[in-house]
Amino acid sequence: MTFFQLMRRNAWRKRLRAILLMFSVGIAFLIYGLTASFVSGSQGAAGASDNLLGVFNKSGRGLPLPIAYLNRIAAEGGVAAVAYTARMRGFVEVEKNVVAVSAVDPQAIAAANGAELRLTPELISALEEGGDRVLVGRALAEAQNWSVGQRIGLTSQLMKADGSRNWSFTIAGIFEGADAGSDTYFMLARYDMVNAARARDRDTVDAFVVRPRDGIASGVLAARIDALFANSAAQTQTQSEKQFLEGFLRQFADVGLIVSLVVGAAFVTILMISVNTMLFAVRERRFEIGVMKVLGFSRGRIVALILGETLFIFAIGGAGGLILAKLATLSIGPEFGLVFSGEVLLKSIAIIAGLGLLTGLLPAVNAMRLPIVNAFKTR
Amino acid sequence: MTDTQDPYIALAGVRKAFRIGAETIPIFSGLDLSIPRGDFVAVMGPSGSGKSTLLNMLGGIDSADAGEIRIGRSHLEQMGEGARAAWRAHSMGIVFQFYNLLPMLNAADNIELPLLLKPLTRKERRARVDTVMDLVGLAGRQRHFPSSMSGGQQQRVGIARAIVADPDLILCDEPTGDLDRKSANDILEMLVFLNRELQKTIIMVTHDPEAAAFARRTLHLNKGEFVEGEGR
Repeated sequence: MTFFQLMRRNAWRKRLRAILLMFSVGIAFLIYGLTASFVSGSQGAAGASDNLLGVFNKSGRGLPLPIAYLNRIAAEGGVAAVAYTARMRGFVEVEKNVVAVSAVDPQAIAAANGAELRLTPELISALEEGGDRVLVGRALAEAQNWSVGQRIGLTSQLMKADGSRNWSFTIAGIFEGADAGSDTYFMLARYDMVNAARARDRDTVDAFVVRPRDGIASGVLAARIDALFANSAAQTQTQSEKQFLEGFLRQFADVGLIVSLVVGAAFVTILMISVNTMLFAVRERRFEIGVMKVLGFSRGRIVALILGETLFIFAIGGAGGLILAKLATLSIGPEFGLVFSGEVLLKSIAIIAGLGLLTGLLPAVNAMRLPIVNAFKTR
Repeated sequence: MTDTQDPYIALAGVRKAFRIGAETIPIFSGLDLSIPRGDFVAVMGPSGSGKSTLLNMLGGIDSADAGEIRIGRSHLEQMGEGARAAWRAHSMGIVFQFYNLLPMLNAADNIELPLLLKPLTRKERRARVDTVMDLVGLAGRQRHFPSSMSGGQQQRVGIARAIVADPDLILCDEPTGDLDRKSANDILEMLVFLNRELQKTIIMVTHDPEAAAFARRTLHLNKGEFVEGEGR
């Protein structure tokens, strides 16, 4: 027997109670795992770069900017690379199957945003091979069950010059994104093709994507870019990709605050339940604690034993909840903005350890302070 | 009372009183005691005479209000709780009337408990457990849980637990009080063996004169003072 086994056997001595407690902890961490994954994902905000700037029309994000701004932005000293994008939304087969298309210049997007989207030279070359070629994000390809070489069609709100709304593309490749938090639920098309085919807003873009030079603060550069067009008909608003996505979400609600409240309520509840249960469990065996003290177990070892017991229960329950949360995020998919990132996992482990210790603290201190003579009176 | 010039256990001027509300009930008012190493002493006396209190003080479980309690070279009255716990882990074993085994642990694990406090490998601990289980006649019962053992068997586990860390001093609190005569005699013979063959110093509190007769000598505790009796 080891000290750990002794702790584990103490935890398992009332199996039903231990299982119910683990179940409660598991549910709390399932809720936390899902909500934290949502916040982490936040429609791709997890993978959004703080150093990548988006230049939008200040009057509204749906309004276009002249592509002529490109040269002025590129000439700004702090800009390492700049790309542009025209957005197009449409659906595949049924209206609720919505997909997004960003029409881009292949070389420019590779220079500005290639690292975040993991756009390899091979993918860029494949996109350049034909005007109707597209690169599809991994999440979108898997959701639609698309593969390279497949011909796809979508119906868009963007009308063609011939009056049609049907757009056809050939999948030239699939891009992965830099990590699990990257938003890959969209596709990249050729701007020259889309621009030539569309009925209106030609030679305009929806946004410029700017990568600042190393050592240039993104906030400073954003202000300088906006200053370039301060007296223009179409003024700009420049934000980091992350700021934009967070601001977009905040239009609906302060997601972070709501998540914090929900998770906080769940954790406070589980804390009260588990502290009460552990107090009861330790009170039940005060006599045994007295026996262990007589055998030479120090105050520190008694505290460690009880804290270890609560940590064990939280570790098993918490791990169960987090595994379920991970499975849920995998099955639901990142298109719903759920990303169970490494950061979420690390935070969860820290909370498991913190709550486990907090739960065990009061019963452990009670047991530590219990005089042996008083413990023996409890039989 | 003094037995040798350098006794193993020496109590000098020990005072102890319990306070119940505003009332103070004196138990010992200057108790002196000397016990040589390797002795086997039975302590008898009427209920409330302080036998258990004495045992608790000898085991560092309870502290005296005043006076000196020395066991070997350890002055218990000068030790804090942590030091007394460490001393108990290394120098003292205890046998309880009701065995006080942990119900979720099997016999071997109960016996191994004190060894968790020693710097031994798992293999070394297991070897020691097997040795003492052989010694108390429980070979092959390592995996038996207390709930499936008789009182006599449980007390053997209790004795094995008390000696597994090889302490010099064994305290016994009514070790046969919950056993039938035959089982009681077996346990007492075992204590005699530990005393005579392994030179353990044993202090046994008991109400039973037949049990006390197994000791080398008997001390009668009355009104905070000892009166020595005859042993075998």
